[in-house]
Amino acid sequence: MPQTTLSLSRVQAMLPEPLSPERWEQLLFASKAELVGIDGDTIQISATPDRLDLLSEGGLGLYVEGVLGSRTGLPRIHCRTGPGPAIEVAATVHPLRPEISGLIVHPPRGSRIDEGTLAEAIRFQELIHASVGRDRRKASLGLYAVDRIRFPLRYALEPMESVSFTPLDRNRQTSASEFFEEHPMAARYGALGRSGDECLVLRDAADSVASLPPILNGRESGEVRPGDRALLLESTGTSQRAVRESLQLLLVVFVARGWSVEPVRIEPASGATESREPVFSPREVTLRTSDLVGIAGDELTAPEIRRLARSCRMDARPIAGGWKISAPPWRIDLLGSVDVAEDLVLARGLGASPPLLPSSSTLGRRRPETIFRRRFSPILLGMGLSSLYTPVVVSEGAVARSERVAETLRLVNPPSQEFAALRSSLAISLLESLRHNVRHAYPQRISETGPVVIRSPKAESATETRYHLGFALAGDGIGFADAAALVDYLLRTVDVGGVREPAEIPATIPGRAARVRLAGEPIAEIGEFHPRVLEGAGIPVPVVWGELDLSALWPLVRPSGTV
Amino acid sequence: MPVPTDESPASNPIDLSPLETAVLKVLRSRTGPVAEEEIPAASRLSPDEVRGSLQRLRSKRLVVVEEIHESTVRLTPRGETALSQGLPERRLLDALRSRREGIEGAMLEEERSAAIGILRRHGYLEPGMPLRLRPDAPPGEGELPLEATLRRIAQGTVPLDEGSIHLLERRGLVRIDHATRRRWAPSEAGVSWPIEEAGARIGPLTREMLVSGAWKSGSFRPYDVRAEVPFVSGARPHPYPAWIEEFEEILIGLGFEQAEGPLVETEFWNADVLFMPQDHPARSIHDVLYLTGVEGRLPEGRLFERVAAAHEGRPLPGSSAPLSLGWTQRYDTAVAKRPVLRSQTTAVSGRYLARAPEPPFRMYSIDRNFRFEAVDPSHHIEFGQCEGVLGQEGISVRHLIGIFQAMASALGVGEVRVRPSYFPFTEPSIEGYVKHPRLGWMEVFPGGLFRPEVLRPLGIDVPVAAWGIGITRLAMVALGCNDIRELFEDDLEVLREGRI
Repeated sequence: MPQTTLSLSRVQAMLPEPLSPERWEQLLFASKAELVGIDGDTIQISATPDRLDLLSEGGLGLYVEGVLGSRTGLPRIHCRTGPGPAIEVAATVHPLRPEISGLIVHPPRGSRIDEGTLAEAIRFQELIHASVGRDRRKASLGLYAVDRIRFPLRYALEPMESVSFTPLDRNRQTSASEFFEEHPMAARYGALGRSGDECLVLRDAADSVASLPPILNGRESGEVRPGDRALLLESTGTSQRAVRESLQLLLVVFVARGWSVEPVRIEPASGATESREPVFSPREVTLRTSDLVGIAGDELTAPEIRRLARSCRMDARPIAGGWKISAPPWRIDLLGSVDVAEDLVLARGLGASPPLLPSSSTLGRRRPETIFRRRFSPILLGMGLSSLYTPVVVSEGAVARSERVAETLRLVNPPSQEFAALRSSLAISLLESLRHNVRHAYPQRISETGPVVIRSPKAESATETRYHLGFALAGDGIGFADAAALVDYLLRTVDVGGVREPAEIPATIPGRAARVRLAGEPIAEIGEFHPRVLEGAGIPVPVVWGELDLSALWPLVRPSGTV
Repeated sequence: MPVPTDESPASNPIDLSPLETAVLKVLRSRTGPVAEEEIPAASRLSPDEVRGSLQRLRSKRLVVVEEIHESTVRLTPRGETALSQGLPERRLLDALRSRREGIEGAMLEEERSAAIGILRRHGYLEPGMPLRLRPDAPPGEGELPLEATLRRIAQGTVPLDEGSIHLLERRGLVRIDHATRRRWAPSEAGVSWPIEEAGARIGPLTREMLVSGAWKSGSFRPYDVRAEVPFVSGARPHPYPAWIEEFEEILIGLGFEQAEGPLVETEFWNADVLFMPQDHPARSIHDVLYLTGVEGRLPEGRLFERVAAAHEGRPLPGSSAPLSLGWTQRYDTAVAKRPVLRSQTTAVSGRYLARAPEPPFRMYSIDRNFRFEAVDPSHHIEFGQCEGVLGQEGISVRHLIGIFQAMASALGVGEVRVRPSYFPFTEPSIEGYVKHPRLGWMEVFPGGLFRPEVLRPLGIDVPVAAWGIGITRLAMVALGCNDIRELFEDDLEVLREGRI
């Protein structure tokens, strides 16, 4: 879960009275946020990824206000009228990073941005980049002091040679080519903002570089300091939705402090202004009463629904079959009716009505095939074979030692050498287990019933998971016949007898390996491991092995009518 | 130890072995204590058998022992030389008196210094070197101090002067041998202990005795049942799958039927069908394990079109309104086709629901899943999940909590506390906590109600509650193991002894 550290006093300032740490813990237990700790003026919280807004001081404050009832309903967003200033978008930004959106936020009359709000905005911005922005790929935000830029801004792909600016964290003017070569931010995000010798630039009307999206702002027109007044919030990206939602999330920081908003026009190169719903408009969602009642498992009255919606900082208007819900724009988690229903059910409290057990009766059972697979375990235990449970993902070394390099499936991204391939046979795991046990006395008798994964070009995943029963017998005087006898016996326990035929099987001594067929189908393999293999595994005694393909055997032995 | 401790009373009805009986008989046949070395001949047993039997009889308090510690003094070869040729000091004195030279060189260095020291101490020599006799030295026929003792030792005359013996021993002229001789006699209890004739009592039961019926005429010699026995251990069920089977019983008891799915799935089944956006962070190569060299394909039929519509926020085919906003990004079938190692058992739920089960239905699946993890005591690339779904008209979050409580009470962990959570495929999403006596509140039951974007494309139109319990963690707590790797233990000794 994403986690952040907030200023406790900045959150408390929004509440009617300060809350004790115990109260915080209790209050957040019922929310999608979780208290990690409070230390002096810092409150550390985590939140589920659908409620990032709770990871800002403003968002958390608005939520708690609603729960405490000190302020409820949709938070008021003061909007300035008028078309607002413009950002012109050149056609060249397609297809590299075509989406851009923006808005201007104004502090309450007579005030300016303070250090706390600025710090909150910058911290929250990084959190948005990492989540909604998918590490800036889908969207990234920029903040600018309106007093230091001249509209209209222009967003375009420009030849690098024509671009020079002072990066936000430097004192010296640099060329774009130098910046892309040297700056650590360019090393990290450069690929998102350049195409060959060209890079994305956001310039103001005085030609000053406001930023190189999505990498870094310029110092002259792209720096925000405490004491600044109106701010431009801008977002560029590859996804229109992520661009809008990143701005909507950031907006909570300012709306919670009573800032007003002003639209910014996006003017594509075609000349026509794109008409979109302003990013700061409330999110309108229809709540079907049936969804709410269904999820809650309880009837709710209309006043109760309205009250719950208001405590969730939403407004609710009745419509046929449900409610029209207006939610704050930063509630980007609300995709549809059930999302609103969840909010209301949580606001009501998960313990509001007692839990129920479903009234129906159904038949509980294991799959017949599972029961079939497990029949062999007690038999093997009774014959003194220890039962193993080992990983399906095995090491490259284990694959090599059991000489099954060609048939084995590999991982694209193995987390380590130890876990790099999928076992195609239990022989791989059994040999490894014997290798781990060489310091113990012989004879050793082991078995495992479990899955293996093999190639199967016709299957949907091009692979097949099959269940095998494998065993290995290791000790002086042990030979092929011991394994064959055990396989014969296991088959007799399910009333069948297979036919052994010579076979070439990896890691076995030529002439001492067999395939067992039943009704023509291969159902088992038996073999004596080659001394070369035993030497490679450091096993000092002869080892024989047998493996039943239970997935092949089951269809041949299952009673008719079972699935 | 094979014998009872000394504290055990002599009246303990422990019978005697044939060897012990033979030894006790010898002791009882003599008057007075018998020297240990005489017993083997008398009992026809080996000295070792006699020694062992005596020790056992002693610990049963049937015999008493008398220990005699003896020391014998003998001349060493150097002592023999001193006796025949005179002690070094005598030889030195004689040489000085007869003004013979070269005697010093013929003596061992240590003998020489000892001889000089003794002659000086007893007033024969002038101080300093070279060696000169004092004019007032005792007369020649006078005896030197140790000469008498040496003679007496050689003659075997007693008593001997202790101090002189030790001086001679230090000079390597005599050797003192210590020895303990044991003499045994029956104790009071041993005298009256009933000894039966050998063969009258049955030791190991044999096939012959059974066939002939000989056992009927004998009585059985009781064994020392507290004696140590050989160490054996054997094969037993592996604790982890055994525990999982126990857990399954709870779900079967609650009316759930088992389902199973493949370990390798396409991303379609592992995530798309569960309405996880295709660029969801949990689908990256840092979370999910991908396979090389294989290419999957889309599922049969039109299911994928319906799933794509839900993702893109379009109406499902044949419907007029979208289910929700969706993810408003193009649904990529290339992503959908990629095979991955299943990262959640929820994939099994998707497959189960796609088979259109008849409501009401309850399904569980406990199986392995895989995630990109560095392995340490609490993380493993393989982890188990217990998936459950419950579909029925009227199912609500109250039923979900009810099922959590039923499972918790079957597990014996008491009350469940629930709080909000988030999963892309459920709305609402909740998490159930139970209180562990040692570990405190633990997240055990994550679940929710499947979203319409999951259910409608699959053709399910009843509400479905679902959960995915982290069974590995639960098993670790139940089995008391602190390292997840122990669940995959393959050490035979550990497995045989059940030390997980």
